[in-house]
Amino acid sequence: MARTRTTKKLAQRIDLNYFKRPSPYKRAKFWLRLLLPLLALTWIAWRTFAKDSRVYSSGRMSAAHAVLEKECATCHLQQAGVFSAKATDSACLSCHDGPVHHASQVKTLECATCHTEHRGRRNITAAANQTCAECHSDLRTNGGLPKYVAHISSLQDGHPQFAALREGQRDPQTIKLNHAIHLKPIRRGPNGPLVQMECSDCHRPAAVSAQWAYADTKYVTAKPTYTEEGELRAIKAETLAAHSPMTGRELMTPVKFATACASCHLLAFDKRFDEGVPHDKPEVVHAFLLKNFQEYIAAHPGDVRVVRDPKRDLTGKPIPPEVRILTPAQWVTERTADAEELLWRKTCNQCHTLTQANGSSLPQVQDSAPQVLAPLPQVAPSNVTTKWMPHAKFDHDAHRGFTCISCHEKALASTQTTDVLLPGIATCQTCHAPGPDHAESRCFECHTYHDWSKRKEVTPKFTLPSLRTGGR
Amino acid sequence: MRIDRSQRAWAVASLVILAASAAVYVFYAVNSPQGPRGGSTIGLAFGILGFAFMIFAGLLGARKRVPVWRLGRAQAWMRGHLWLGLLSLPLILFHGGFHFGGTLTKVLMWLLIITVASGVFGAVLQNYVPRLMTADVPLETIYAEIGNVRTLLREEADKDVEALCGSLGLSKGAQDAGQRAGGFTAMRSMTTITTTGGGAAVAAATEILLLSEEESAPLRRFYLNEMRPFLELPKQRGSRLANADKARNAFTGLRTLLPPAAHATLEDLQDICDEARQLSRQELLHHWLHGWLLLHIPLSLALILLGAIHAVMALRYSS
Repeated sequence: MARTRTTKKLAQRIDLNYFKRPSPYKRAKFWLRLLLPLLALTWIAWRTFAKDSRVYSSGRMSAAHAVLEKECATCHLQQAGVFSAKATDSACLSCHDGPVHHASQVKTLECATCHTEHRGRRNITAAANQTCAECHSDLRTNGGLPKYVAHISSLQDGHPQFAALREGQRDPQTIKLNHAIHLKPIRRGPNGPLVQMECSDCHRPAAVSAQWAYADTKYVTAKPTYTEEGELRAIKAETLAAHSPMTGRELMTPVKFATACASCHLLAFDKRFDEGVPHDKPEVVHAFLLKNFQEYIAAHPGDVRVVRDPKRDLTGKPIPPEVRILTPAQWVTERTADAEELLWRKTCNQCHTLTQANGSSLPQVQDSAPQVLAPLPQVAPSNVTTKWMPHAKFDHDAHRGFTCISCHEKALASTQTTDVLLPGIATCQTCHAPGPDHAESRCFECHTYHDWSKRKEVTPKFTLPSLRTGGR
Repeated sequence: MRIDRSQRAWAVASLVILAASAAVYVFYAVNSPQGPRGGSTIGLAFGILGFAFMIFAGLLGARKRVPVWRLGRAQAWMRGHLWLGLLSLPLILFHGGFHFGGTLTKVLMWLLIITVASGVFGAVLQNYVPRLMTADVPLETIYAEIGNVRTLLREEADKDVEALCGSLGLSKGAQDAGQRAGGFTAMRSMTTITTTGGGAAVAAATEILLLSEEESAPLRRFYLNEMRPFLELPKQRGSRLANADKARNAFTGLRTLLPPAAHATLEDLQDICDEARQLSRQELLHHWLHGWLLLHIPLSLALILLGAIHAVMALRYSS
C-alpha cells in the first residue's frame, strides 16, 4: 500500500505555533529594519557632533568658492533666534563687491539669481541667458527710453547686428589703405622681389613678441613727437570694464608705420640721400630737410650750379634755363620745396590725409621753381579704432586656431579705408550656438554685467589656517 | 499581488500624474534661469509630493501590522504602495532637477533608486513566482515548517528502510513520530510477506524483516550513502536525487536489484525523495519571492528617516 496524503495528515505534521518561532528570515528582517535606520541616524549624529554641516550641502561649491567647501557658516549665517540660515547677499558682498549694472536699470537682482551655488565645480560667473533676458528681453529704464535694442533674449534671439556694421556705418579712420592690394602678391620696391603679405605682418596683439617682417630699425627706435594715443579713436566712457585683467593678446594693436610699412614704403625725398625723412609731424620733417640740405650744400658747394635735368621737364611746368647759379640759401630752399612737394603731395599723401592750416586741401603745383617755401600742411589724426565692440569683450587669442581670413574675409576685397572689416554676427553664430556641439553662446561670453569701475574694495577676513581646518 | 487588468485604474491615474508632472517640469526647467532647483517653489512642490508618496508607501507596513484598522482595503493599500511608490522616483528626480546634489541628497537618491528598483523587482517576482510555485511544488507546505517536515520525512524513510533491512540504528522507533510525519506509510501486515531469496528470514522479536542481509545490501548501501544524506542536506551539491530524472533512474535501477516484495517500499522512498526535492524547490522560490524584502524594507525605512532630515535641513539652509 503506497503512501497516502490527506489534508488531515498533512496538517498534522505542522506545528500550529510555527509563526511564534523565530526563523532566520524573520530575524534578518527584524535586525535589518532596526540596523539600517539606526546606521543612518548614527551617521547624521556623527556629522552633527563633528559640527560638519557639509552633509546637508545640496552639491559641491563652484570652482571659485571651492576653498569654502568646509566653511558653511561663512555664507549661511544664522541669526539669533531664527532657525533659517539662508545665504544672503550680505554674505557675498562681505568678500567681493558686485557693482550695479546700469544706474538706470529697473530691477536689482539678488546675487543668487544669476550666481547659483552648490551646482558642482563650475564657473559661477557663467550666468544663464534668462537672467540677462529678465531685463533685456523687454528693456525698460528709470529715465526715458532705452538707448539700446529693447528685445534681446540671447545671441540667437533678438541680438542685433554689431553697431559698427549697421546701415551707414563707416570706418572713421583717415589712413588710406587698400587691403585688397596688400593681400595680393606685391613687388617690394621698384626692382624688389614679389612678396605675399600675411595679415600678421601688420596686425598683432600687443603681447606678441615675434619679429616684424617689414619693420625698419631706424623708425622702430625713433621717438616721434606725436603721441600714439592722439591717433586713436576715443572709446566711449559707458563701456563696462572687464573684471579679469587683460593678457595683451585679446585685441590687435593699431598698425604702426615703423613695424609694418617702413621696409617697403620708403620716405625718400631726394636722390642725393639714401635715408628717408622721419615718420613725424610736418614741422619735424621740414626741419630735417633744411638741416640735411644745408649740410649737403656746405659739403658740396659746386652743386649751386644747377643744370637742367631734361628728365624732369614735367608737363605743365615752365622749362627753366639750361644752367642756373644759385646761392646756397636759394639752393636749400629750392631742394626743400621740391622734397616737400614730393612728400606732401605723394609720399605722405599716399596714406595720410593732409590739409592746409585752414582745413582746405593742399594748393595746386607751383608754376615755377619755388623761391619761398609753402606753408606746412596739417596731417589729420589717424582716428584708428582699437575696439570695435565697446560693449563686448573679444579675445583674438582664443580664436588663434582660425585663419584671419576665415572671419575677416571682407579684407580680401576691401579697397576703401571706410570699409568696416569686422566680421558680422552671423560669423560668430556659426560656432557660438546653443548645444554641446557648439562654442559657448551665453551672454557672459562677450558681455560684462557688473560695472567694475565702480567696485568698492573689501576687507579680507580669511586666514590660511582657518580655511585648512574648516574653521574648527 | 498580480499586475493584471484590475490595476488599470491605478496605472492610468499614475500615468496621468506622471505626464502632468513631466509637463510642469519641462516648462519649469526651460524657464528657470539657473536650471531647476529643489529649493524653488515648483521644486519644493515636487519634493513634498514625492515624499508624501514615499510616506504613504511606507505606511503599508504599519497597515499590515494592524490589519483590524478600518482604513481601506488591504488590496487598495497594496496598489497604492505599488503605484505611488513607483511615482515617487520621477517626482523626486524632478525635485532635484535630475541632479544628485551633495552627500545626503546623493545617499537619498541612491536609497530611493534601490528601494524602487527592489520594489519593482519584487512586484515582478510576485507576479511570476507564485505560478511557478503552484506548478513545481504541489506539496507546498508552510515555509517555516520545511525543516520540520524534512525531518519527519527522513524519520519516515528511516523507518521504512529499517522495516526491510533491519535496524540501521537510525529510526527512533516511535510509531507516533511516524504518524506525525504524515503517517504516509500504511502499516503493512508484515507477516503476510514472505522472503523470496534462499536466505532465512531474520526476524527480530518485535518485527518481521522482509529481506536477508544479502538481499537488502543494495538498498542499505543506497539509502545510507545517497538517500539519507540527501534528506539530511538537500542543498548539498552532487546528489543525483536532487534531479527528478536522475532520481527516477536511480530507483529504477534499484528495483532491478531488489526482490519484488521490496518494490512497494521503494515507491514510498521515491515518493519521499520527490517531496524532499519539492521542499528544496519551495525553499528556493520562497527566497526569491521574499528575499528582496530584506533590502526593500530596511532601505525604505532609512530613506524616509533621512528624507525627513533632509527636508528640515534643506528648508533651514535655503528658505
